[in-house]
Amino acid sequence: MAVEGNSKLKRIGLQFAFWGVLVILFGTLMVNFINFGQPNQLSAYDDDWDDLSAFRQDINDMGIKTKSLVSSPLLLEELEDPRNVTFVIAGVERDTLSLPQFSGESIITFANEDGYSPSEVDAIVEFVIKGGTVMVFEDYGYANTIAEKFGVKFKRAQLYDTVYVHELDYNYIWTCMQLSPCGMNGTVIDPGTIESHSRWNSSDPLTGRHICAVWADLMALNGTTVSADEAGLCAQHHQNGVIEYNASYQMLLNNITAIDITESSKHSAMITQAIRAVSSSEATIDMNGDGEIWIGSGLNADTPDLWGQFNLSVEVCASVTCSPFESGGRVHFIADGSALINAIYDYEGYNEGKYGPITKQIPANDNRKWALDVIAEALMELDPATGMPSGQPAPTAMVIFDESRHVQSNIATDTYNMLYFVLVYFTGEGLAKLLLFIGLFVLFEGVLLKKKDPDPWRHVFSIIYYGFGDANRYSYYAKSNKIKQVFLSKVRNQNGLTREEFDSMPARELQAMIADPVLVKFVFENRNFTLEQTVAIVKRIKLWGRV
Amino acid sequence: MWTRKASFTFAGGISLILIGMMISNHQMMILGLSFVAFIVVNSWISGHGDVEVQRTLSADNLYKGDDLYVELLVTNRSSRRTQTLEVYDNVPHEMKLRSGLNQMQMNLGPGESARIRYVLRCPLRGHFSIGPVSLRYRNTFNLSVEEMFVDHHSDMIVFPQLRDVEEAFIRSRTPKMYTGATTLRTPGPGTEFYSLREYVPGDPFKNINWKAFARTGDLMINEKCRDAVTDLYVILDSRDISRIGTVLKNPLEVGTVAAASLANFFLQRRDSVSLIIYDEKLSYLPPDTGDKQHFKILSSLAGVAPKGAMPLQAVTNSLAARFSRGSPIFIISSCEGDGTVPAAIRDLVGRGHEVTVLSPSSIDFERLVSRIPRMSYEVLKLERQNRMTSLAGFGSQVIDWMPDMDLSQALLQVRGY
Repeated sequence: MAVEGNSKLKRIGLQFAFWGVLVILFGTLMVNFINFGQPNQLSAYDDDWDDLSAFRQDINDMGIKTKSLVSSPLLLEELEDPRNVTFVIAGVERDTLSLPQFSGESIITFANEDGYSPSEVDAIVEFVIKGGTVMVFEDYGYANTIAEKFGVKFKRAQLYDTVYVHELDYNYIWTCMQLSPCGMNGTVIDPGTIESHSRWNSSDPLTGRHICAVWADLMALNGTTVSADEAGLCAQHHQNGVIEYNASYQMLLNNITAIDITESSKHSAMITQAIRAVSSSEATIDMNGDGEIWIGSGLNADTPDLWGQFNLSVEVCASVTCSPFESGGRVHFIADGSALINAIYDYEGYNEGKYGPITKQIPANDNRKWALDVIAEALMELDPATGMPSGQPAPTAMVIFDESRHVQSNIATDTYNMLYFVLVYFTGEGLAKLLLFIGLFVLFEGVLLKKKDPDPWRHVFSIIYYGFGDANRYSYYAKSNKIKQVFLSKVRNQNGLTREEFDSMPARELQAMIADPVLVKFVFENRNFTLEQTVAIVKRIKLWGRV
Repeated sequence: MWTRKASFTFAGGISLILIGMMISNHQMMILGLSFVAFIVVNSWISGHGDVEVQRTLSADNLYKGDDLYVELLVTNRSSRRTQTLEVYDNVPHEMKLRSGLNQMQMNLGPGESARIRYVLRCPLRGHFSIGPVSLRYRNTFNLSVEEMFVDHHSDMIVFPQLRDVEEAFIRSRTPKMYTGATTLRTPGPGTEFYSLREYVPGDPFKNINWKAFARTGDLMINEKCRDAVTDLYVILDSRDISRIGTVLKNPLEVGTVAAASLANFFLQRRDSVSLIIYDEKLSYLPPDTGDKQHFKILSSLAGVAPKGAMPLQAVTNSLAARFSRGSPIFIISSCEGDGTVPAAIRDLVGRGHEVTVLSPSSIDFERLVSRIPRMSYEVLKLERQNRMTSLAGFGSQVIDWMPDMDLSQALLQVRGY
């Protein structure tokens, strides 16, 4: 009973140890990809001051579907009509899982140090080539894997500029969407320095004129007016029954970085790279993040920081003009991950306390106008007959918010996202597909080999059991010495002698007792006998003593 | 537990879903989902094993080679159908199915019963147990199967066969060697008249000879001859070496038959029989008469298994004091591998016992299963003959019992038989 109890305890202990180790391993794995205790932000589905719910609400109000992508941008490959889809990446807050995959050169790679795997980046590139629009808002996160594929790179260090919002603090920078920086007049932007968007302000639709401007031109030509409800995707420009398109954008950014243009890893299909906004020429970047700016004639340990004019917005297009009337799509890079947060995007609501208590008033800005203009350009339906803009979103228009790289507010959501990511990885990535096929094959083989139905019951009658003697003794009993011993025992028994009497008997007397010359010779001669001789002797012994 | 079919269906379903996701084929995904759903829904529909079983045996005790009739009654106690229920009565593998089957597939409604009847032949002696009853129930599509058992056992004893040895004694020239109930020429409790004597106080009134009292006027008592029975000791060698041979033919197996037959013969003659079995230990059944002793002896013999290597002299030394003076002793042993046999027999003979050694020829039993070279066999036989001769030389009666020889035929070898 005690032994049974010990064995049960041992079994329970082993089970506990096994599951304990499994939980620890799984926990260790999960902890690497789940960010406990970090608040979620930049989510289109939360309505804190630092989320994007106002932007999403505006899009929905325009009759455009919005979706979140929680697993992987690999799913962009599945879209049927990428031309009418805009993919919004607002802050890449965490790295991707390092799972094996084929790189561009069909080599298996593991490391993805910045946000997205090669397959995911390829999926985004492919999406843009097919006409999709991507908005990338990033400052210090992991968006560089995408950026580099489009020939740009985020500096990931904070930029300070003289064009900052004085009533707030130096982290809030004014940026104008134009090729030359806007300047300050005291504590406000000098209106004389405000210009227009370099592309959207062009006069020819085929050279990139904004689609709302084209639509406004068209209506002016036809002498038609539109109500605010009919203004559709251009409602942000609706004034007095017409679309008054204005291409100047005074944008408010917060904790920004800079964007470099690097041609080296740019995808060949990305034809146009255009700078859309720059800092002032007196901007500095705190490269080492020590909170101090040390600038010299060269970069070294004493003067590690940068000074000058930096790019704050870059547009990369898969067409020459970036025009929506051309086939390729475009990517808008903004050097601030929080450009569209509720506090800035919906500054009126924020100032009214809609998103929680406020400390300072956020000044009026054109972030909303710019963002909605991007959406309008990307998703406006073109008349199939004339190819002219209709002002309304395409029936299949959709905006997808990338939530896959956002920290989620609870562990369950994060776990779900990670598992969904793994599922998409295994059904979307080439190497993973291969692995999955092999896995399924092994699974079937395993089922085939290992899974057995219970054996049919059958009574087996089985008493076939043999007990053997000692076979080793057989050779011993064929030896002449043993035969001699057996024979002498027979002689002794037959004559009724004790062992002592027999041992003390003279040889002559024994010979007389045996009375067979062959057997006498066998007993008294120590020599080797052939097999035939031994057989003959045994036969003689058997007969010996019979009357 | 899932069956292979269920595992394939599930693995197929998962594969179809994943491959469908890979190639964006919704039909394939739906088909895969259907497979998985089929498994899930089927897992809700299962049978059960909530049944009552009752087993009836034709006999609890039987002799080796007899047939045993078994009936198993299975009743569904539940208010649900059992679905496909497989019932299997676990029978010891030493028993042979003679007719019928010890299993059945059934689908019993609530309260319904079914009977399984089969006949077993028991070719081996021993203590056996039939049971438990194994149950296996499956769902309708054979996607899941569960097993359980009902812990219902029926114990039984298979005694060694009894051979008729009476013929050997009748045909012998000294048929009253062991005389059974023997009338001793001394007064005492018995049935036969011995003499008349005068009444002494304390004599039972029923023994008063009223006719003699009427004739003489003195109270006279009828005295009877004392009846006495012979104590017979059977010593059975159950050492490990006695297993040599086949499972049905080996020194121990024939030894148990001989011991049972001799005990039966002498007990029927109202003698007292004692059984001594030695293997790794010594078991001693004191001499007694009657059916109860018969049952005890047969039960002991049914459970004998070869093991150990206790020498015979250790047995005789420890029990010599218990042996009734002059009583006959049967030693059933191959006398192999025990150098103390001659000394033990010499001691017993010296104490005045009539010792008979019934010795199954182990070398001939070994020959049934092992290819012994001819010359070695002859020498081994010579050595055995020497051993038998020396035992006979100590005054015991030695029977060299060959495997193909019947017990009564072997007994005829003793002296005048």
